[in-house]
Amino acid sequence: MRSGPALALLASAVTAALLARHTVSVAAIALVLLAVCLRAPRARRWPYLVGTGVSAVALFVITPFVETIGSHPLWTGPIVPVIGQLDVTREELVSAAFNASRLAAVGLAFAAYALLVDHDKLLSAAGIARRSVLAVALATRLVPTLERDAAGLVESLRGRGVEVEGVRRRAALVSPLLAGSLERGLNLAEAMEARGYGRGGRTRVPRPGWATADRIALVTAVALVVLGALWL
Amino acid sequence: MALAHVEQLTFSYPGQDVPAVRDVSLSIDPGEVVLLLGPSGCGKSTLLRALAGLVPHFHGGRFSGRVEIAGGDTRACRPADLAGTVASVFQDPEDQVVLTRVLPEVSFGLENVGVPPRQIVPRALCALADVGVGQLAERPVAELSGGELQRVCLASALALEPELLLLDEPTSQLDPDGAEGFLERAVELGTTVVLSEQRAERALAVATRVLFMEGGLVLADAPVEEARDWLSRNRPAWVTAAEAPRTVEPGEAVCAVHGVSFAFDREHPVVEELDLELRRGEIVVLAGPNGSGKTTVAKLAAGLLRPDRGVVERRGRAALLLQDPGRYVTRDRADAEVALGIGGDRARAHATLASVGLADKSGRHPRDLSSGERERLALAAVLVTEPDLLVLDEPTRGVDPDRKRELAGRLRAEAPQRATLVVTHDRTFATAVADRIVTFEEGTDTERGLSLLTVGAHA
Repeated sequence: MRSGPALALLASAVTAALLARHTVSVAAIALVLLAVCLRAPRARRWPYLVGTGVSAVALFVITPFVETIGSHPLWTGPIVPVIGQLDVTREELVSAAFNASRLAAVGLAFAAYALLVDHDKLLSAAGIARRSVLAVALATRLVPTLERDAAGLVESLRGRGVEVEGVRRRAALVSPLLAGSLERGLNLAEAMEARGYGRGGRTRVPRPGWATADRIALVTAVALVVLGALWL
Repeated sequence: MALAHVEQLTFSYPGQDVPAVRDVSLSIDPGEVVLLLGPSGCGKSTLLRALAGLVPHFHGGRFSGRVEIAGGDTRACRPADLAGTVASVFQDPEDQVVLTRVLPEVSFGLENVGVPPRQIVPRALCALADVGVGQLAERPVAELSGGELQRVCLASALALEPELLLLDEPTSQLDPDGAEGFLERAVELGTTVVLSEQRAERALAVATRVLFMEGGLVLADAPVEEARDWLSRNRPAWVTAAEAPRTVEPGEAVCAVHGVSFAFDREHPVVEELDLELRRGEIVVLAGPNGSGKTTVAKLAAGLLRPDRGVVERRGRAALLLQDPGRYVTRDRADAEVALGIGGDRARAHATLASVGLADKSGRHPRDLSSGERERLALAAVLVTEPDLLVLDEPTRGVDPDRKRELAGRLRAEAPQRATLVVTHDRTFATAVADRIVTFEEGTDTERGLSLLTVGAHA
């Protein structure tokens, strides 16, 4: 499938999840996106899935304590200064599940984009905002490099008998990691300039024609948005 | 008419008082293969960047003199405008690759210079085939080894069919066979080449002319045979091998590896049933091609990896020097970085920095150091821990011959204090330091991808 229709399909899934009004519909969209993400190699997919899962669960847990809706309390807790009476109602749980499912759907759609969409083909297809598309494609390509850099910093410390344990010690590596990324970015910019980037008269590799799968994907994307707005 | 002409070039990077190149003048004719030699920081990379127009356009700084490429002054056009006439391959392939798959990556430069669309893919495929990696066209770049990635970068440059090919230490990540093949392919296509290398012996075999630089000046500019004579008289470390060390009587076993097997994933075992003993006073070199498992064995011995089967016994403390000195930049000061491994003892850190010639750099940020200084900082950071087992992974990558001799001398002098394991492609360095050379070869059982261990006696 061409990258454009694939991206349209993912965007439509996110749009449908944001427009839908029923928790079951949103959860179904999230599950479909999860199934898509599971096609990616295990080693690459776990940070995205764990990040999305943790975020969604956190939202589910916190929402009932910050919302005040419903009249069917399932649990009544203490009175906390400023926040007030802590309670959890059935309506709040439903709302929490709805919002958590939405967050999961958005996170999983991004994960599918990062893991499965061919960014090179996407860049090739970009007619407008090409520099922005290239910036996003570069950022995505450099994520594995960033992971290797982080692992390398940890190895350099462990190789001297310094164990990197705990949040504080790991957080101390963020600054050198960012500095290294900046340095790498400069080197990459230099290499790109040396390869003619930014020069006028740019051409493009001929793109293959539209396949049936591409057309079906586009139609499905439009239908999903309409369904999300009207029925889901 | 000269393809490239440099006239009294002097250039200083922003914020630097000392010029990186001083009063450099030369002409390069079509078909020449010019080898730039010289210690780290002598100006080789700066000269290459001046030929590509990156100096001064990309880096800024103070520029005087003149650089002409194919009759055009580089000050009058951007580096991007020179692409196609000039093509560059830099040292670190990770810092050059833009896209996620090989074929689009090689096509990127062709698109930028406006090659007709129908010619882009055929030229890209042809370039990949020319450098021997045609089979990688559909692979993600993240799956490639350092050597494969560097060949892809060379293909990206050759696809442009440049008149002038600039190579800045392009073989630093390649094993000896890979490096020789790389240089031969770069040269045999007939393009004019200017090449910077630290491993002079193999580059001299393909060069037609040599420039030796030091302190930004060109000290010698001669055809290759005259240059060899000059180097033999004035800079012998660049052309003569170090003497082989005397055999020592090794002491107690510091590290013993018994029946160790290890795999990163079940389908591709890296090490199978390995036995290895490292004794105090002995320097053991692990040699072998890229991907044969040397670094994995080094990490197993140092305790950074746990074996899937078998046992690694260690007596005392182990320290590992990684291939990339850029990993030793976790603190804001050089002395703080060195002191990390010894509980923050700055006094010892200063002493160790002095021993590697960085006494005056102890307060500098590690990122402000030159590449050669970073290598010495990394070495100091490891040596300061006074390990019983010292493991060095490719310690001579990007290091000039004088520095290599210093390192070899230091390792030999300190050998009685510890067991030393060195992973290296560098045959010259291996000869200079090793009491025993252990050679890895690719296993014949290709389905299992085993690395068979053979032991070679040090000659």
